[in-house]
Amino acid sequence: MKKRRFLSVLGMIGLAAALLISGCSSQSSTQQGDKVELYMGYSSDPPTKKKMEEIIAKFEQSHPHIKIKTMTAPYDDFYQKLTTQIAAGNAPDLWQSDGTKVFGYAQRGAILDITDYVTKEISKEELNGLEFNKDSDGKYWGVPQGIQVGALFYNKDLFDKAGVPYPTADWTWDDLKAASVKLTLDANGKNADDPAFDKKSVKQYGFAFFGSSRGAFNILKAYGGGVLDPTLTKSIINSPENKKAVEWMVDGMQRKLFPNPADLKAFQSNFKAFLSGAVAMQIDIYAATTSMNGAGLNYDVAPMPKGPDGKRFAPVIANSWVINKKAEEQKVKAAKEWITYWTTSDEAQKEWTEVGEAIPVKKSVANSEMFLNPATKPENKKVFLDTLEFAGTIDTNAVFTEWVKVFTDNLAELFMDKYGTDEFITKTDQGIQKVLDDFFKKQ
Amino acid sequence: MLELQTEQQAKPAVKKRKWLDSEGRWGLLLVSPYLIHFLVFVVGTSVASLYFSFSDYDILNPPKWTGLDNYEKLFEDPLFYRSLWNTAYFTILYVPAKTFLALLLAVALNQKLKGLKFFRMVHFLPVISSWTVIAYVADAVFNQRIGFANAFLSKLGIAPQNWLIDEFWVIPVLVLIAIWKSVGYMMIIFLAGLQGISSDMYEAASIDGANAWQKFWRVTVPMISGTTFLVIILNTIYSFQNFEQIFVMTGGSTEAGSTGGANNASLVLMLFMFRQAFSFFKMGYASAIAWVLFLILLAITLIQFKLQKKWVHYD
Repeated sequence: MKKRRFLSVLGMIGLAAALLISGCSSQSSTQQGDKVELYMGYSSDPPTKKKMEEIIAKFEQSHPHIKIKTMTAPYDDFYQKLTTQIAAGNAPDLWQSDGTKVFGYAQRGAILDITDYVTKEISKEELNGLEFNKDSDGKYWGVPQGIQVGALFYNKDLFDKAGVPYPTADWTWDDLKAASVKLTLDANGKNADDPAFDKKSVKQYGFAFFGSSRGAFNILKAYGGGVLDPTLTKSIINSPENKKAVEWMVDGMQRKLFPNPADLKAFQSNFKAFLSGAVAMQIDIYAATTSMNGAGLNYDVAPMPKGPDGKRFAPVIANSWVINKKAEEQKVKAAKEWITYWTTSDEAQKEWTEVGEAIPVKKSVANSEMFLNPATKPENKKVFLDTLEFAGTIDTNAVFTEWVKVFTDNLAELFMDKYGTDEFITKTDQGIQKVLDDFFKKQ
Repeated sequence: MLELQTEQQAKPAVKKRKWLDSEGRWGLLLVSPYLIHFLVFVVGTSVASLYFSFSDYDILNPPKWTGLDNYEKLFEDPLFYRSLWNTAYFTILYVPAKTFLALLLAVALNQKLKGLKFFRMVHFLPVISSWTVIAYVADAVFNQRIGFANAFLSKLGIAPQNWLIDEFWVIPVLVLIAIWKSVGYMMIIFLAGLQGISSDMYEAASIDGANAWQKFWRVTVPMISGTTFLVIILNTIYSFQNFEQIFVMTGGSTEAGSTGGANNASLVLMLFMFRQAFSFFKMGYASAIAWVLFLILLAITLIQFKLQKKWVHYD
């Protein structure tokens, strides 16, 4: 008797708990008549959030049957939240995904294959970067929302002071290193060419690179090497081309022309070295222009230097709109309407270009005076558009973050002189292959 | 069985009804918010994570049962041992040093002098500051280029160190900062313990001719051994669960390569787990790490409880 009562009380608590939980996660999917409520997610900071809200308001005006509800947070928080939302089944119907994360979601089955829509309704001639979200099977998983492409950023003031001519489109990586020698200064103002140069007290470096899109990957590629094969399931680290590229980098580190990871850390963040004027050149992506303009740097951009055989490579990240695989049909339709609006409306494109976050995806807008405006820095914005001709993705696949971790950790060890080039190549090759096998062999 | 029956019969029926009708019902009703919370967010999530730890779970898709796979992989993973050692090393440096320092501070601030409130407050300030703020302050000291620490060393003619990037220094420096941040909190707990010691004890000791050191060692230390025990347990658990500090100071950035310090020298268990779950989509593996971490902590705490009989006095 007593036991039964206790059980029923427990049951009631359980029921109450269940109600509480379902109450929390229930979404108000109000659909009166043809009206659709589209749930959209995007990562933002205050200026991009404001701009996005303005664009959404304009979209709702011209598409009165769609009401957009948004979920937004700063970059890191956004993806953590999104992941848990997908797990709980209440993720947005449509979200803006970082270009490096699209395949992570696609190959884990979280987003919709939109090949049909892309091939039928999106014009390749009018849009930048559509190919970057196509997987090796030819399937499209997203439509570009904004394009990031890498270039060589240089600080004009430091070049002028050293009397070194600005980088040109003909530069090779060796030209860059030769210029770095003159641009690297110690505490007494002596450059790296000077026999009295003090390696222990470098106060200005010639060139900095770090991380994935801004890092060694681009140099390996220009030398004819790379990290993964075209199927993105096999490591190709162990190649003579890569070895040459790695030796080029290590030499620069040892001569202190480039800051090593520890030197960079001393600037509080990897980005601060160039921003504070302590580094003359850096590989960076278009998004960096906002903070560089904010810091009041006198800078410009040049195309990425060529490798020994004239090969050139620049990283591209196509941040994209992707659709939730579990979204209802009606919402998928609305999501596509939004994507079409985003990619075809001059108004939306121009609004977004104004925040300076990305290169416009619509070619006509990207080539317009509005984007190329020479009155704002960098003057040479056309470099970014020209770069798209030879740019490629940074081998993003489903386990991108994981293999990049192995790659950059090992590189850091190499640059800190913990081991030599050969050991780096063997260790990294095995480490990356293990990560790849762990995921792809299970598929 | 027979005994049970007789016991039940012996209980007056009235009393039973009363328990269920008034007190029991009210009691359950009043604690029900807690009970619901406990069942859903403590029992529920623990059971779920235990299940996940035996499965291949990428968060986005339903978990697939794989038995002991995750645990097998874990015990073969060199990074697991690396992070386990880092965590243990942190604890070994952190717990004794902090406990001792907190006690010393508490004794010093337990005097009846003017301005003590100010000093107690000053020691408590870092406790209430967020790790982000502390990171900025710590950077002013340990930054390789502009920090005080290297400026001071260079005056002594010693070469500058890379503090938070150097494999050798990173854990000791993190421990130092962690102690500074939270010693005030433990000091407050000790102060409470110290104030519970009756002044008669010290008077009696004085009469017996004890000097200050003897009073501290023979009276204060044994009298607050209960508090000391609590402080040690709390610090050990904190040390094993330390995440925020290490995340903020040696790699919270989105650049995947920078988490966990040079050569994973500051990769602690919590950071290792976080990375597996939220960066690599390996929730099953992360759950296995969580359970191993729980078992380790449980074992350590049980050992500490066993050992307390030898040195903790309650009266």
